[in-house]
Amino acid sequence: MSSSPRAAEAPVAEEDTPSSLDESAVESISRGAPSWLSERRRHAWSVFEDTPLPSTRSEEWRYTDVSRVVDFADLRLAPDGMPAENGSRPAGLTAAMEEDLAASGHAVLVDGNVVHVDLDPALEEQGVILTSLRTAVNEHVGLLEELLATEVLPPEEGKFQALNAALWSDGVLLYVPPNVKLDLPVRATRWLSHAGSAVFARTLIVAEPGSQVSYVEELLSEDFDKRTLVSSAVEVVARDGAQIQYVSVQRLGRGVFCQSAQRTLAHRDSKLDTLNVNLGASVTRLDLNAQLLGAGAHSEMLGLYFGDQDQHFDHNTSQDHVAPDTGSDLLYKGALDDRAQAAFRGIIRVHPDAQRTDAYQTNRNLLLSDECRANSLPNLEIQADDVKCSHGATVGQLDSEALFYLLSRGLSREQAERLVVLGFLGDVMARLPLGGVVEKVTRAIERKLEHV
Amino acid sequence: MSDTSILTITGLRAKVADEDLDILMGVDLEIRPGQIHTIMGPNGSGKSTLAKVLAGHPDYEVTGGDVVFNGQSILDLEPNERALAGMFLAFQYPTEIPGVSIANFLRTALQARLEDGEEVDLFDFQEELLDRMKLLDMDPAFAERPVNDGFSGGEKKRNEILQMAVLRPTLALMDETDSGLDIDALQIVANGVNTLREENPDMTVLLITHYQRMLNYIKPDAVHVMVGGRIVRSGGPEVAIALEEQGYADWKEQDKDEGQEEEQQQQVVTA
Amino acid sequence: MPENELVEGLGLDEYQYGFIDDEAHVFRTRPGLSEEVVRQISKHKEEPEWMLEFRLKALKIYESKPMPTWGGDLSDLEATLDEIYFYVKPQDQMERSWDDVPSNIKNTFERLGIPEAEQKLLAGVGAQYESEMVYHSLKEEWASKGVIFDSIEDGLKNHPEIFREHFATVIPAADNKFAALNSAVWSGGSFVYVPKGVELETPLQAYFRVNQERMGQFERTMIIMEEGSQAHYIEGCTAPVYSTDSFHSGVIEIILKKDSRFRYTTIQNWSNNMYNLVTQRAVVNENATMEWLDGNLGSKLTMKYPSCYLVGEGAHGDIMSIAYASDGQHQDTGGKVVHVAPNTTSSITSKSISKGNGRSSYRGLCKVYEGANNARSNVECDALLINATARTDTYPYIEIEEKQATVGHEATVSRIGDTQLFYLMSRGLTKEEAMALIVRGFIEPIAKELPLEYAVELNRLIELEMEGSVG
Repeated sequence: MSSSPRAAEAPVAEEDTPSSLDESAVESISRGAPSWLSERRRHAWSVFEDTPLPSTRSEEWRYTDVSRVVDFADLRLAPDGMPAENGSRPAGLTAAMEEDLAASGHAVLVDGNVVHVDLDPALEEQGVILTSLRTAVNEHVGLLEELLATEVLPPEEGKFQALNAALWSDGVLLYVPPNVKLDLPVRATRWLSHAGSAVFARTLIVAEPGSQVSYVEELLSEDFDKRTLVSSAVEVVARDGAQIQYVSVQRLGRGVFCQSAQRTLAHRDSKLDTLNVNLGASVTRLDLNAQLLGAGAHSEMLGLYFGDQDQHFDHNTSQDHVAPDTGSDLLYKGALDDRAQAAFRGIIRVHPDAQRTDAYQTNRNLLLSDECRANSLPNLEIQADDVKCSHGATVGQLDSEALFYLLSRGLSREQAERLVVLGFLGDVMARLPLGGVVEKVTRAIERKLEHV
Repeated sequence: MSDTSILTITGLRAKVADEDLDILMGVDLEIRPGQIHTIMGPNGSGKSTLAKVLAGHPDYEVTGGDVVFNGQSILDLEPNERALAGMFLAFQYPTEIPGVSIANFLRTALQARLEDGEEVDLFDFQEELLDRMKLLDMDPAFAERPVNDGFSGGEKKRNEILQMAVLRPTLALMDETDSGLDIDALQIVANGVNTLREENPDMTVLLITHYQRMLNYIKPDAVHVMVGGRIVRSGGPEVAIALEEQGYADWKEQDKDEGQEEEQQQQVVTA
Repeated sequence: MPENELVEGLGLDEYQYGFIDDEAHVFRTRPGLSEEVVRQISKHKEEPEWMLEFRLKALKIYESKPMPTWGGDLSDLEATLDEIYFYVKPQDQMERSWDDVPSNIKNTFERLGIPEAEQKLLAGVGAQYESEMVYHSLKEEWASKGVIFDSIEDGLKNHPEIFREHFATVIPAADNKFAALNSAVWSGGSFVYVPKGVELETPLQAYFRVNQERMGQFERTMIIMEEGSQAHYIEGCTAPVYSTDSFHSGVIEIILKKDSRFRYTTIQNWSNNMYNLVTQRAVVNENATMEWLDGNLGSKLTMKYPSCYLVGEGAHGDIMSIAYASDGQHQDTGGKVVHVAPNTTSSITSKSISKGNGRSSYRGLCKVYEGANNARSNVECDALLINATARTDTYPYIEIEEKQATVGHEATVSRIGDTQLFYLMSRGLTKEEAMALIVRGFIEPIAKELPLEYAVELNRLIELEMEGSVG
């Protein structure tokens, strides 16, 4: 692998007119690809076709009527033409990238395709791989054949997971060899430029035994006047004793339906933490499943969301304790203003052999307006008896005592409210301190609060 | 073994049940009825383990030696059978049993001491309980609180003494009952023990403590020093006073001289 | 077309217990359900036309609604429903003889120290209850205050206007599949009316009424609390109720008018062949207080979620429940509180115990509609697992549309700790006694709300259950 920044391999599909989401798109995207991959895409497409669109009658989609959010017939795959490496970049993308200079490596994706990758040469020397999936399809066949859309997020997981597995255009592979530790995070910036398009990208992170890495990705776009779909599939594997932090900061523009499916596999004594920050998009749906597969594995699962206007957030999380002596701790906090709506559905499943599980789950919502709405379903399913499990959910308003205290110190009501909201959301980030991320998210929240 | 002893421990060895970690390395001890013996020792010496092993705690496994209580080897007995035989362990950290009142709990414990078909008479029990609480200068309302649930450290220890007063054991094992108590609470607990002893001079006490200060209130007949899982010195109250002045350092040195490498490991685990 | 089966009356039992009934024959529908069966039930009860229409409409709704796919496993229920008799004249239930009652049930009765007459009643082989005299004197007291406490059938006959005004207003037939089924074939249950300002000290016990009509498979109870009235209603019992029926689906409707206060205590201990699917709901008006005290110990599967619709300002709802799931049992229980009006408050406290391969699930809803300013709700669920094969689930739905609302939910799962066991055993208790004591302590916050005789029986039952659970 060369360490110099470069564009990804040549585009696979070369039609001039953007393609519909149909079987021919699967065929054209498969052209020239290895047969295992084409097979996998065709299979995923057939699963997609056989899977009905989730309805609000199903438990997992109770609070999001996806038939009103997405119309597959209306969407077109994003065109594959990429901005030149040094060509003009959207200001929003450039600004975000400039905040991310301190890093072990960078990946930049535009409309789902990797347009730039760089990695600290010293790490490359040690065998760390950071590359586009298109490149990896040829250069790291073994890894992809084993792990891409197979055991972690197979198409059978659901309608959107199947669609992504059939139509993904590109994405990021991050591989860390045994015992290699990255001090600085790897940062990915994903920019979306076409209104009315559908973008399918994947992320695959594999940390070998004893290694350590953090990965921070940010999703950005302008506001759109057409319904636009951003679909992500995130697969994260921590082998024995590995440590991974995965962070996603979503600041997409209005008009976007941001759909993200994530699954983390934590093997023996590994530590696999996630933070999902959702501030943008019109509709956000996150499916996050943490699998605790080996004794001593632990996952911290953090989330924060802040909605205004007509934003809609739907978080669907699950914690599967499969092996004994595992731990997980989930905290999702959100503030809602205007007519924003949020749903949280979380489940802790303690499987029959998972004795001595420690699992916690908390969802807290702060309602700031008369029209906003919050739904919370924190579930437990426990089939082992030697466990420590608890969950809690609260929905409440601004603490009037705290407000009064701040007012009595001379703050205006607006200042006081902002401070209380920031404090409410801030303690999530305090649990996963990561250079640059806290500041970035705090600034984004502050910007939103200025509209309150 | 002496016919007149109430408790005879010979060559007792024990380890943590699920691990290869020896704690008691061969303890020998003999106590006669009505005596007060004290075991002192540094953290990790195994003195609390000894109390738990005597009471039959499932976390420990006896690997050698014997314990004879009232002429009977008790090592094969369940914890409740040892209790019915007259043994009582005052816990270092009494366990919380939410929703179960002290009165209800003690009534059940007394019921366990009766033959099948016999029932504790509710009125007699109530009277007895009030009587015992009066003896210990306790507020009757205390009996209606759930066992140790939400109790302060001092209240938990007083609850242990109340149970001792009601259940009237022949041998009381007091496992660091003095730890975490301020001087007032310490006095109350010590007075309780002394009161019960006055009432029943045959009650035998094995007092396990880290500090000498408890011995200002309860006068022992014998003091044993435990280091590295065995008793390294026995004598009269003067031993305790010497320890207070010099600390355990000398004993540890001596212990090391005797080649007990295991000690350091034990300290880490039981500290 | 199904035909009636005419079964000879059970002269022996009637004679033995001095049962007086002018019905020489006992009426029984054929297995399965049809319009004809519903018409026969209505005709047999000599009901007004509007009730027949209500039943027929409900039948159509029942047939159109799919089986629920959530909650417990109902896959065998369809077949069960084809087998059962949808209407059995009450006396017919005495057809069974004491010899038919399984010996494990009899043993439990013995060990609970239940008097023989009562044992037979609980086993469904007799209907005489010694408290008849008590009942009569209470009846006089109630009558003098204008309180109506009757069978639901007599309520319809004797108080047609009040009845029709309130019937099915709290739980319409279309509410759910089993409410629809009950609406079509209901039989038995209580009708209670407490006039304005009347406060009843002595609980109304369905027990007292059993000699009139035993609690049926499709019992229907309607309770109307007028302004400022207060009462407490108790039904069921902690001792096992043996029934050859395998399906019970009741509907309980309660209306609390302004400033009234009502508590509904129910304990079920159906034998574990029973599907117990019950809809019970209260509409709570201004400053009224509703309390559900719900104990589920028996049945194969229970799905029951007592509800409070807080529709008047300042209304309050309390739901307290104990669920005990042993081998082969699934208790899918919980509660619903719906806040519609401002300043309404509610609390749900649930304690469940799972043993063997038993499964307890808490399923609850807390909904706050926009406009229910200052609504406050708190939910606490605690689950205790007795052994490694037991299972517990918690499914709370929290739906909030009002900014000025404070809603909290907490749940914990625990097992009997080794240190707790050792502590109690070191005081002389056997392991079984220690476990029983811990379980009793666990449910104490709710058990203390039970009438004394129920609490005592519950405790004894737990002791029995803990025997043999030590492995």
